[in-house]
Amino acid sequence: MPDGSYERPQQRQFNPYSENGGTILAIAGADFSVIAGDTRQSEGYSIQTRYAPKVFRLTERAVLAVNGFAADGNMFVKKVKQRLEWYRHAHAKDMPLRAIARLIQTMLYAQRFFPYYVYNILGGIEEDGTGAVYSFDPVGSYEREACRAAGAAQSLVQPFLDNQIYFKNQTPAPGASHPTHLPLPDVLSIVIDSFTSATERHIEVGDGLEIYVVLAKGRSTQELASIGGLQELSTRAEGDRMFVIRRDLKKD
Amino acid sequence: MFLTRSEYDRGVNTFSPEGRLFQVEYAIEAIKLGSTTVGVKTPEGVVLAVEKRVQSPLLESSSIEKIMEIDTHLGCAMSGLTADARTMIDHARVTSQNHAFTYDERIKVESATQAVCDLALRFGESVHDEDAMMSRPFGVALLIAGIDELGPQLFHTDPSGTFVRYEAKAIGSGSEAAQSELQDKWHSQMTLREAQILTLRVLKQVMEEKLDHHNVQLAQVTPQAGFEILDEVRLKEIVDAM
Amino acid sequence: MDHFPTNWGRPRNELYDQYNTFPLHQRPTNHTDTFTDGVQRTQQPIVTGTSVLAIQYKDGVMMAADNLASYGSLARFRDITRLHAVGTSTIVGASGDMSDFQYLQRVLDEIVTDEFTAGDGNSLGPAEVHEFLARRMYARRSKMNPLWNALLVGGIQNGKRFLAFVDLLGTTYSASSLATGYGAHIALPILRQDVDPNPDAITEEAAREILRKCMRVLYYRDARSLDKYQIATVTSAGVSISEAQKLDTNWDFAEKIRGYGSQTQ
Repeated sequence: MPDGSYERPQQRQFNPYSENGGTILAIAGADFSVIAGDTRQSEGYSIQTRYAPKVFRLTERAVLAVNGFAADGNMFVKKVKQRLEWYRHAHAKDMPLRAIARLIQTMLYAQRFFPYYVYNILGGIEEDGTGAVYSFDPVGSYEREACRAAGAAQSLVQPFLDNQIYFKNQTPAPGASHPTHLPLPDVLSIVIDSFTSATERHIEVGDGLEIYVVLAKGRSTQELASIGGLQELSTRAEGDRMFVIRRDLKKD
Repeated sequence: MFLTRSEYDRGVNTFSPEGRLFQVEYAIEAIKLGSTTVGVKTPEGVVLAVEKRVQSPLLESSSIEKIMEIDTHLGCAMSGLTADARTMIDHARVTSQNHAFTYDERIKVESATQAVCDLALRFGESVHDEDAMMSRPFGVALLIAGIDELGPQLFHTDPSGTFVRYEAKAIGSGSEAAQSELQDKWHSQMTLREAQILTLRVLKQVMEEKLDHHNVQLAQVTPQAGFEILDEVRLKEIVDAM
Repeated sequence: MDHFPTNWGRPRNELYDQYNTFPLHQRPTNHTDTFTDGVQRTQQPIVTGTSVLAIQYKDGVMMAADNLASYGSLARFRDITRLHAVGTSTIVGASGDMSDFQYLQRVLDEIVTDEFTAGDGNSLGPAEVHEFLARRMYARRSKMNPLWNALLVGGIQNGKRFLAFVDLLGTTYSASSLATGYGAHIALPILRQDVDPNPDAITEEAAREILRKCMRVLYYRDARSLDKYQIATVTSAGVSISEAQKLDTNWDFAEKIRGYGSQTQ
């Protein structure tokens, strides 16, 4: 009103959510899986930190990437890890990837009316030795896919993956056909290109890149030999193996 | 043990000075009054067989239910106070379904067995002046048969909440004779067919009545068909072949 | 029967969730939840502190905050300490609602006392204090009843520097230089320029000078700040919070400003 009073009682509500930027991405190969995320955490135009991991190792063969509201993301990962440990004690084995995927659904849906504001991508190796990627929405809808990007630059990266992984809008040469799975070096190149491109065009993406690579049991590590910034996370050479590649992204 | 009976056998939550829980021991005794139940594990699957005591010619023998399904890959045979087993099997079923719902996989045989045994010692417990959930130990023993990623397995549970894995196990009134017979006849490379016949032979030896397809029940868990209780036609065929 | 082992041995409510519709990990609770109406909760901060700055340097962590607690635009309390030592190796600095901060001070002092009383040789380091605060802040935001603060937690643990942030949403992060509120916009770029390349090269005196410089910049630009501030250091020798000190400022430039208010030329 002109006198400065309000026409109606005003109600202000505390907003329990925020959005912390960043992007995650995962691609499944025939016998490997690659899960990556940048390490910038931001709020609005402010960079909070240049190193806040969004990708987490869950088991010997499962990696979870979380993106959205960082506080929810960290809490969610903490709770998933706790459930994995309980499961290990109760059932004397590591939780299989597909079981983790279902568990994440039930945990997300349990919060249906006060959701974790988080987009999850789970990657790793299935019980049958195939590479797998599962993607989730904040309330638990999920599906297994060959690739998925999520987060701030999803709209930049996913179309690129559709073109490069699913060969959308590409016509094979006469008599030839598109491969169903790409080799590891091609996948790593696509992941790195995705993030350098997203860094160029999206202000919330940059600073650092963490790429987790999970290789199925018995698979050669040859293709990783020439990769810089590689670190092995698995302790046993037999069984599935896990590596992380840490790289810089532009910080501007 | 009955010589040492004293006031320590009243309360379910009181140890005797020798460190025994008499009510649990009596509950284990109750199983020895139950009908004989046999389980045999083979590389091809697990077989469960029970004797159905038909106490009256007017009794419908098909209504005696001593083998029950827990899940598609899990079955269970009982001996003792079979009414008690309903609580346990109900719990096992819910646990199994819950596991499938939460993890999109079949629960392991051992995990289902553990869940049932977690119940066993919950008698006499109460909090905040509420009534206890159960007043006495279960008076029933179970043979839990199933198949998971570790292959076919057979577990035995008793009222103390102890569970042990067996290649072949007999419980109930004729269990001593039956167990020694199993020990003689069981071998690790049995076929499912051999196991079916072995369980029936063992039952036949300890049964007072003449064994036929009305007074025994046979069930099996196989990788192909999961848990199934054999119908009269298939049972009769095995009885005839025995 | 209750099929959830996590509920066994707890008080029961047979009427609630009879058919076990809850997933196993979500233990049904019998008490009321956030949707129970009629409770008025914090909707905004009242008496507030402005920025807190902190950096890592050669010997540990240094933190700065001014002594003002504002009531809206009123400079209400001019001798409030916004830096709080927790145990012997941790410093907590607070911006935002001062009553919530004072509540947290009490809670932190309690857990330090409890930990000391246990006498088991364990003591709380900055990482534990930060984790505790993060859990508390997140729990309160999840009850839609936040503690309206942005906190910096700094210290030294096992010879390693620690510096991290947590706010009313439970958001956490860590870096070699941090700032809350206006400081995150005005001071942090300066701090990052000075500190990020090599915190190990910064001596105590240099660190003090960097923070003084930033506090001065903030005082020039942040209308809710004060020229009286304190600096806390945590080194392997322990925690120390300085006496309040005055900023030396120079307002000569104000004469030359044109284009505001009555000075139109």
